[in-house]
Amino acid sequence: MNESNKTGRDPLDEALASLPESIAPQRDLWPQIRAEIEQTPIAAPKSVVQSNWFRLAAAVLLVLATSFVTYYVTRQSMQQQVAQVTPEAAPAPQLTGQPASFTFGRERLGAGYMNARAELDKRFKERLAALPPADRAKVEKNLADLRHAADEISATLAQHPSDPLLQDLLMSTYQSELQLLANVSDLPTAGSMRTDL
Amino acid sequence: MRVAVTVAAALLLAQAARADEVEKSAQADPRGEVVIGNVAGEVQVTGWDRNEVHVRADLDDEVQRLDFKTSGARTTIEVVLPKGRNYQGSTDLVVQVPRNSSLVINTVSADQAIKDVRGMQRLQAVSGTIQTELWNEDLEIKNVSGEVHVRGHGGKGMLRATSVSGGMRLDDIGSEMDLNSVTGDMTVRVSELSKARIKTTNGDVELRASKVTDDVRIDAEAINGDLRFRFPRTLDAEFDISTFNGDIDNCFGPKPHKTSEYGPGNTLRFKEGNGDGRIRLKALNGTVEICNR
Repeated sequence: MNESNKTGRDPLDEALASLPESIAPQRDLWPQIRAEIEQTPIAAPKSVVQSNWFRLAAAVLLVLATSFVTYYVTRQSMQQQVAQVTPEAAPAPQLTGQPASFTFGRERLGAGYMNARAELDKRFKERLAALPPADRAKVEKNLADLRHAADEISATLAQHPSDPLLQDLLMSTYQSELQLLANVSDLPTAGSMRTDL
Repeated sequence: MRVAVTVAAALLLAQAARADEVEKSAQADPRGEVVIGNVAGEVQVTGWDRNEVHVRADLDDEVQRLDFKTSGARTTIEVVLPKGRNYQGSTDLVVQVPRNSSLVINTVSADQAIKDVRGMQRLQAVSGTIQTELWNEDLEIKNVSGEVHVRGHGGKGMLRATSVSGGMRLDDIGSEMDLNSVTGDMTVRVSELSKARIKTTNGDVELRASKVTDDVRIDAEAINGDLRFRFPRTLDAEFDISTFNGDIDNCFGPKPHKTSEYGPGNTLRFKEGNGDGRIRLKALNGTVEICNR
C-alpha cells in the first residue's frame, strides 16, 4: 500500500520534510499537533499506519494554514493601520509595493504549504477515482464549491483587507478544504477493503 | 418434462448462488471493541446484554467469505471480496454485540443502523444513511454522501460529525458537539448545551437548546446559509454576531447595526445575564436568527 515517487520516498514524507525548512512558524507548533492527535477519541486500527500519516499531514497543514493566514492578515492589517495613522510620515512604500490585485489566495501561504497540499491533493485524487461515480461527482462538486467560496472571500477580502469576519471565514474555508481532502483520502473504498483472496 | 426438470434445476442453482446465509458467534469482552467492514449493502448492529458477538450475514455470490475473528478484546467482522474485481453486489450484516462495546464501522455504499450500543463509536461511510444513538461515550461520524441521524439519550458523550454532502438530524444529543458539513442542512436538538463548534459551507443550521450551561461556548459559522438558534428564556452569555451579507434577527432585544453605511453586513454584540458564556455566530451570505422562545 505504500506509495513512493521517483526518488523512492513516500510523497507525504517528502512533503512533511519540506515544510519546516522554509517556514518559520510564529510559535512552537508541535504541542498543538500532539494535542490534535491525542484529541482524537477513537484510535484507528493499528494496521492502518498510513491513515496516521494523513492525520499528521492534515494537522500540519491545518496549523500552517492557520499560522500563515494569520500572519498575512495581521501584517496586512498592521500595514494599513500604520498607513492610516501616519500617512504623511510614511508614504507607505510597502502598501504601494503591494500588487493592485493583491488577494489572500493560497499561493500566499508559501511554497512549503503549496507542495504539501499538492501531495495531499494527489492522494485525494487517487482515492476519489476509486469512489462510485455518483459519490465522486458529489465530492468534486463540493470541493469545487469550497474552492469557489474561498476564491470569492479572498477577492472580497482584497477590497476589505482589515475585515475580521472575512479573515476568519477565509481561514476557516481553507481549513475546510484541507479537511475534506484529508477525510476523503482516509475513507474506505472498495479497493481498500480486504481483498486478500 | 425434460424442460421442466431443467428449469427447476436452474432455479435451484440460481437460488443457491444468489445468497449464502452465514451465522457466526463468539464470546466477547463486555467492553471490548467490535470492528465491522462491508463494501455494499446494509449493516445493522444492536447492543444486547450477552457477552457475545453474533453475526448473521447474507453473503452475495460475489463475496468470497466473511471473516470473523477475535483477538483479545477486539472482534473483527469483515466481508472479504475477491481481488481485482469490480464488486457490484450487496451484503447485509445483522450483528449483536455486548451493549457496552465500542464500535468501529467502515462501509463504502451501505446504510448503517446502530441501536443500543453504548460504548464509543466511530462510523465511516462513503455513501449511505448513518443512523445511531448517542449515550455517555463519544461518537465520531464521517460520511461523504448521505443522511446522518443521531438520537441521544441526554448522555455525556461528545459528538463529532463530518459530512460532505447530506443533511444531519441530531436529536437530544449530549452537550458537546463538533459538526462540519459542506453541503446539507443541520437540525440539532439538545437538552443542555455547553460546547458547540458548527461549520457549514452550503446549508442552514437550526439549533434548539432547552438549557445552556453558565459557561457555554458556541462557535458557529456559515458561508452560504442561515443560522437559526433557539435558546432558553434566560441564559448568561455574551453574544458576538456578524454577517457580511445578511440580516440579524434577535428576539432578546438589542438591535444589530450595519457594519458600514452602504454595505449589507450587520453586527450585534450584547450580554444576557452575567455574560459568562460566549456565543459567536458568523455568516458570510445568510441570515442569523437568535431567539429565546
